[in-house]
Amino acid sequence: MKFCVIFIVLMLTSEMAMAQNIDAFFVPKGEKSALCSDEVFLRRTYLSVTGKLPQRVKAAEFLNSTDTHKRSKLIDTLLESDEYLTYFGNLWGDMLRIKSEFPSNLWPNGVQAYNRWVHEKLASNTPYHLMVRELLLSKGSNFRVPAVNFYRAFPRKTPDNIYNNIQLLFLGNRKPTDEGKVFFSQLQYKSTKEWKEEIVYVDYRMKPPTNSVLIGDKTLALNENEDWRISYVNWLTEASNKRFAAMMTNRLWYWVLGQGLVNEPDDWGAQNPPSKPELLDYLTKKFVTSDYDMKELVREILKSYAFQCANSGVGTFKPTRLNAEVIVDAIADITGISDQYSSRVPEPFSFFPIGTHAVELGDATVSSSSLELFGRSSRDVSLESQHIKELNARQLLFLMNSSELENKIRKSPMLIELNTKQLPVDEICKAITLTVLSRYPTAAELELYKSYISKNKLTNKQLCYDLIWLELNSTEFLYNH
Amino acid sequence: MYKIRTLTLIFFSLFISQMEAQQAKSVILIYLDGGPSQTDTFDPKPDAILDIYGNYKNVQPTNVPEIVLAEKFSQLSKIADKYSLIRSMTHGFNGHETGHYAMITGDMSGGSVVYPSFGAAISYKLQNSYKGILPPYVSVVGANTRFNEGGFLGNSFKSFDTKGSPEKQVFEVDGLVNTFVSPESFKERMNLLAGFEMLNKDRMHEVDVVAAQSLRTKNVELISGKLKEVYNLSNETKEMREKYGVNRLGQSCLVARRLVEAGVQVINVRTTGWDTHKVHFQKMNQMLPELDRALWALLTDLDEKGMLQNTIVLCGGEFGRTPRVLWEAPWNGGRSHFGAAFSYLVAGGGFIPGKVIGKTDGTGESILERKVFPSDLIGTVYKLMGIDPYGTLPHAMEGNLPLLPSLDKKGQSNGLLLELIKK
Repeated sequence: MKFCVIFIVLMLTSEMAMAQNIDAFFVPKGEKSALCSDEVFLRRTYLSVTGKLPQRVKAAEFLNSTDTHKRSKLIDTLLESDEYLTYFGNLWGDMLRIKSEFPSNLWPNGVQAYNRWVHEKLASNTPYHLMVRELLLSKGSNFRVPAVNFYRAFPRKTPDNIYNNIQLLFLGNRKPTDEGKVFFSQLQYKSTKEWKEEIVYVDYRMKPPTNSVLIGDKTLALNENEDWRISYVNWLTEASNKRFAAMMTNRLWYWVLGQGLVNEPDDWGAQNPPSKPELLDYLTKKFVTSDYDMKELVREILKSYAFQCANSGVGTFKPTRLNAEVIVDAIADITGISDQYSSRVPEPFSFFPIGTHAVELGDATVSSSSLELFGRSSRDVSLESQHIKELNARQLLFLMNSSELENKIRKSPMLIELNTKQLPVDEICKAITLTVLSRYPTAAELELYKSYISKNKLTNKQLCYDLIWLELNSTEFLYNH
Repeated sequence: MYKIRTLTLIFFSLFISQMEAQQAKSVILIYLDGGPSQTDTFDPKPDAILDIYGNYKNVQPTNVPEIVLAEKFSQLSKIADKYSLIRSMTHGFNGHETGHYAMITGDMSGGSVVYPSFGAAISYKLQNSYKGILPPYVSVVGANTRFNEGGFLGNSFKSFDTKGSPEKQVFEVDGLVNTFVSPESFKERMNLLAGFEMLNKDRMHEVDVVAAQSLRTKNVELISGKLKEVYNLSNETKEMREKYGVNRLGQSCLVARRLVEAGVQVINVRTTGWDTHKVHFQKMNQMLPELDRALWALLTDLDEKGMLQNTIVLCGGEFGRTPRVLWEAPWNGGRSHFGAAFSYLVAGGGFIPGKVIGKTDGTGESILERKVFPSDLIGTVYKLMGIDPYGTLPHAMEGNLPLLPSLDKKGQSNGLLLELIKK
């Protein structure tokens, strides 16, 4: 019996290893998979790639299109958009803990330079391993060499803190160790006459405390007059270091699908094995062969069954509560009224232009009570769990009954526009549902609304208030599902 | 049966003996965000030079001979037997973020771990004994968002931020009081939402829909129930409202007193505008009398209601301000950040009143006696709240960490304020 099971498992495994795409890991051969509807796909894709909802016109355009390749085309379009760069740049900012003050004291100039660097790397789709190499081998001024801010984003810039953060970020090792801190022990910091400028440099005068260090099963040399980081970074980023590629492969999977094959995505080790090791292996190999092309990997995931599966299916898309930035931006986009953000560092305060989105802030020192309420990453540590995804009563209290939200709804330019057009009730419902939920209302919903109107003797204006309130409060709105 | 009872009793008494004797039930922090001048409040220097005392050369003697206040505190001077002053607070940080962090968490260890604010830590530590429906930790008008106040305890231990303006006719508490929507319309909306959720339940995972619905039900209780009356200041007499001062700070303090009555454990009354780099004295002329009245009203009101002995009141900012006034442009009589020596007022909940702890030199620029670090003050507050200041907090990755890593560490602590608490 046991043998039989092992045999079947082996057969399945070998079949999967030959698979040409992700789908083979989910859908048995010859069977048809249950895909999600167009409306679900549309919302999911926008939220997962850009962190935004589609504009009403765009949503209608996609839903009405009869093009059989429209899903593929939407994925390709969104991956080329600025919104993709901003949204993924923000996720990188969480990883790297980009923040003006406390605990990363980068100061606004450094934050600006660092964000710009991330944005440019993503825009040119720089291979992941090269991006990491540039970060880890950086030296120079925080204003002129943006990547050195990596070495400044620590409350205590000690070799062991730096090494353990690198272990966590790029290998998913949570347990601190001392073994590799020596590679970073030559790093020195000095200030200049420029306010808050800092030079990160390598002190070549230091004598190696030892000739070599054993990392994993490799012995790495420490030579005099050399930057010791180089041997470590070479080891870290070479193709034979599977964990390095697998870690980012899995992180991208997590960013797109809401849960990792290794989950939490930054907790690797024997105690936390991947749920589908063969799939992770397959994807990691592809990632390495594609020369660590992050955008291609995201594209493949988006085009797969894993992403496009129906909610009721066996796929791995995990409905997750919208990120704080995403929810706050969605409310701003829907109502047309955004929060005013300001930076209190340095004084006097600087104010962001009206209409700035929360994903564009790039600095966890700049916050608002709504962002705090929905649990935006504080960027204290480099863990994905810093992004709070739980739904709690206080968040719903804000949506259900706050004057702040009601005020935004009532002042919303969209609703004013709908009101002045004197549209029939059906059209109003259609416009609102398309804006908030990116779909058309169902017949049953329209019926529900109509009985609500007649029972409460609502004017169209009041209907607009209530409908937008309703949909912002729906579970459907709160989740990327 | 009998055996079980005995065991329970033994466990219970063990549990009791592990606990600190709890003297205080609530803490009110009146937080002067931006950093108030100690020279112009609790540590006046009338015998120094003009560059130090600035526009306030006069002082205010009090009903306790040892305590002398700066000139704007005409009300507080009548009740110096109700509070004590710490004139030797120090952490040495002159940046807002770091100052806030040290003052609110007590942590000066400089590690990579971000600690929770003391309000979050108290509501974590006392969560099992807290039976209230109101959040255990409330910020009256504006939470401090300059660092992550939940720290490694996470989002759920952050304070509930009331937002709104208590000085207005209607205090629109975030999510609880909404002047746009009548109770009847709200009820109709909730029915509509239930109908919508029912129609669409198959679009979502059932657990998510059910979880959201049960949270909403909890909220409806809060919104429609009597509990939110705690925020309704029209339940107070006109005289009482005027006693506290009809301004943001005064009415926030009145709300704080009502929250203590309702059993809330930690209340952060946050008042901004204390970062007076420029034209400091003009601003102080307006702000100090408001502070004087609000603090006096709160302390006497708590005392008259017999609540002061169970309620800790703290007042201070993230740091003080430079004792030396910058008269030149662009400051035109301003004071800068000063973390080396500043003052805090402490009262109630087991703190001995009528005392002065610590002493600064003639200019107020350095401490001569008994430095008090943030961990010393916050550790003492923990102790009075029945929480062992030498206890631990759970960290997701690093196991149990000390509640106050700086306590009793050289340069970060000078020991708990045992001289200020009742035996």
